[in-house]
Amino acid sequence: MTLRTYVVARILLTIPMILILLTMVFLIIRVLPGDPVLLHLEKHATPAAVEQMRHQLGLDKPLWQQYFDYLLGIFRGDLGLSMQDYSSVGQQIFSAFPATLELAIYSMMIAASLGIFLGVQASKAYNKPQDHVIRIFGIVTYAIPVFFLGMVLQLTLGLGLHWLPVGQRFNPTIAIPQSPWYVDLNTPFSTSLISSLFKIRSVHLSTGLYTFDSLLEGNIFKFIESLRYLCLPSLTLGLVLSGVFIRLTRSNMFETLRLDFVTAARARGLRETRVTYSYALRNAFLPVLTMVGLQFAALLGGAVLTETTFSWPGLGRYIVDRINFRDYTAIQGAVIVFGLFVSMVSLAVDLLYAYLDPRIRL
Amino acid sequence: MKNIRAIGRMIIIGIIIVIIVIAGVVGYYLTLPTGPSAKDTLVMGTTDSVETNLDPAHAYDYFGWEIIRSLGAGLVDYLPGATGPSDIIPDLATDWNVSSDGLQWTFTLRQGVKYDDGTIFNATHVKYTFDRNIRMQDPNGAFVGIGFGDIIQNITVVDTYTVRFYLTTPYPFFLTLIAGQECVMVDPKYAPMHGSSWNATDSIYYTEGDPRASNPMGLGPYTLANWTRTAGKDQAMKLVANPNYWNASAGIPKTKNIIIQFYQSSATLTLAMENGEVDIAFRQLTVTDIKTMQSNTNLQVWQGTGNFIQYLCMQERYSPFNETKIRQAVGAAINRTMLVSTVFQGQAQNLYTMIPIGMAYHKNVFQDLGDPNYTRTQELLASYGFNATNKLTFDLYYETTGHYPQSPQVAQVLKASIEASGVITVNLQSLEWAAMGSARNAGTMQAFIYGWYPDYIDPDDYIQPFMQTSGGTWLNLNYSNPEMDQLIGWARGNTTDSVRNTLYEQIQDLSAIDCPQIPIYQGTAYAVTSLKVKGVYLDITQNWRPWLLYAEQ
Repeated sequence: MTLRTYVVARILLTIPMILILLTMVFLIIRVLPGDPVLLHLEKHATPAAVEQMRHQLGLDKPLWQQYFDYLLGIFRGDLGLSMQDYSSVGQQIFSAFPATLELAIYSMMIAASLGIFLGVQASKAYNKPQDHVIRIFGIVTYAIPVFFLGMVLQLTLGLGLHWLPVGQRFNPTIAIPQSPWYVDLNTPFSTSLISSLFKIRSVHLSTGLYTFDSLLEGNIFKFIESLRYLCLPSLTLGLVLSGVFIRLTRSNMFETLRLDFVTAARARGLRETRVTYSYALRNAFLPVLTMVGLQFAALLGGAVLTETTFSWPGLGRYIVDRINFRDYTAIQGAVIVFGLFVSMVSLAVDLLYAYLDPRIRL
Repeated sequence: MKNIRAIGRMIIIGIIIVIIVIAGVVGYYLTLPTGPSAKDTLVMGTTDSVETNLDPAHAYDYFGWEIIRSLGAGLVDYLPGATGPSDIIPDLATDWNVSSDGLQWTFTLRQGVKYDDGTIFNATHVKYTFDRNIRMQDPNGAFVGIGFGDIIQNITVVDTYTVRFYLTTPYPFFLTLIAGQECVMVDPKYAPMHGSSWNATDSIYYTEGDPRASNPMGLGPYTLANWTRTAGKDQAMKLVANPNYWNASAGIPKTKNIIIQFYQSSATLTLAMENGEVDIAFRQLTVTDIKTMQSNTNLQVWQGTGNFIQYLCMQERYSPFNETKIRQAVGAAINRTMLVSTVFQGQAQNLYTMIPIGMAYHKNVFQDLGDPNYTRTQELLASYGFNATNKLTFDLYYETTGHYPQSPQVAQVLKASIEASGVITVNLQSLEWAAMGSARNAGTMQAFIYGWYPDYIDPDDYIQPFMQTSGGTWLNLNYSNPEMDQLIGWARGNTTDSVRNTLYEQIQDLSAIDCPQIPIYQGTAYAVTSLKVKGVYLDITQNWRPWLLYAEQ
């Protein structure tokens, strides 16, 4: 099978997978015992209030109509209304998503680079003191509770040395980074399709990732400030996750470094660094890539403890808050979004796999 | 040759790095912000948040009310450091009087007051506000919760600057109701009616990117310049001085900009306070965090009267708490001193009646029951056959989502205290806040620990919602005593202080016999600031008053 064929087939397989996911989420809320409206309204569950809420949330329609409205809404980015304040669940989730994405990106960069590097070093110094130290480091960082590590870093790098802020996402005394770039969709070509379908007239090229937006704004001070606030939470999460990558890389690299092609590369006189990273690691990397993908997808769902420790406004906290408020439409929306993230990341990892290893496509 | 190439490559990389660093440093200093001076801005950190919105017809949470009061103004207000109703002062109303029958309250309005957009405030705005808030009938709002619709029959505009309230029955504490944060004036332009009549859906909610549209006030010392909510959770707020505020000439507000940062935990807020990232930390700080900051000489900890109480509720619909003596027995087994010292390390006070310490008519009626008195507990339970080998057993519920301070610890100590009687076994059950509300409505909890912040500063608000048959339906404890109902009805309708005093004493005496609720402790209000911050008032009203805060230079 060619790469192109594999890609198309894999993408097409994702569509029914997502459809099944969406259908299951739809049914769980509506078919299982218990009325979410009654549970939400509590003492104010008068018949009139129940009927009003059910009507506002579209729960009084026939099930088949609710299903099609639900699918169409998801296609248009409409995840329903919050039961708490009737605001758009989609807007709420996507307002939290950039913070989660930014934390996930930088945490994964730290975790992967530190974990893979140390894993390689440990495999090369197998059973020697360096290997033992790295293994212990990996075990300790993985075993240590993330909130405890976070607090230690807050006390040392924050309160102790006054190098970094201990919480929040950005400096409260200055405006948050905002990209000044807009794309006007109100053109003859787009009006009939995008604008009418999604009711969008212009798109603000703002990612919501403060580091990127500050660069788009051309403001180095805000870029440095956003990095300062990112340091502690991403370092915390990155250190904890690096333990996984250390162990996985070490074991895979140990096996790979003993294969014949590596011996042959050394025999041809290649530098050890090139043998290790360009030859051995490339072959040992595939399982690590899977783990990177899975961990990244998990991070996109929000790291609740890290977000709580650093008051980071991400999706993890959002989901926990919505559960506490019995906001079932919001919980449904969050589950859908998280499921879609995992599907997309899984697809990306599979495609990357097929690119790196042609044997996968067969 | 290879070495030369490698050296050359490294030199080029080094030059590129140096250029990037220099560019970064230059860019950093070129983009340094030039904001307002430090003395014009105070940063406040809190773990609290606006629970729903900033509409006085709907908001029913402490923090929402504090912001509403910062952005709006009412007819009357409390003097900073107030101890009770006698400390009510003019705000938008300069004078008021009540008819001899107590049914008509007439307010003379301050002239020349403008909304933030320049519109002149007058009596029609008062009528509009109260008509709107009452007729919206928002089931979740304070106006329904407090029962304004049952209290106010009608509001009339006597003339441009005179408004009159007609009450259904005399309410001696009507002025304290009007002084509440829920009674601030709205701007009709930002609080319109959307249909042909008022509806709860007319409530004003958060609008992304438009703080002015997110609140219907406009007469307060501040305007809302920024309100950021991420995923329905407050991230930041910025209050900026309202140039049209009627008392601006007196230098109010004292600080031009107040930035509010929201934290997820008291621990992080404490670290931020100690690290100098915020100037003020207020609500909800844990006991240990307060103690930590008390030992920090770079911070000052303010302490004041709290009006938050916690109490034990017992479901009277079923056995065993349908028996008065069993409720008394449990009440006699509570060791408040141990609880206050163990859980709150002295940062709370023993409470022996539902009316808090510092409020009028307070009487320590539950002290006679015992604190603890295990002999009494044993004697009372013995008549039902309960003893050391046949213990009374019940489930005690507490909330786990931080709605009340240190709920798990309170429950643990309460359990230990009651079980120390030797004749009772307490099974702790935890529920998160929303589930606890559902269970309360269903009446399925045998006993539970609950708390109360007042809606208005009058003993009535600590009695009527708990002990009157109609007022206590929200608690769903099935308590009803016609004698108690009669006493409460008399107290509510009487305007003579001495008579009210006698009636509330009788009410409290009866409450110690019936034990519809067992008061446990009263919280103390704390705030922490940097040494330069002044103007903090923590009084019985619990009004935060950010417009009085300032930084000494």
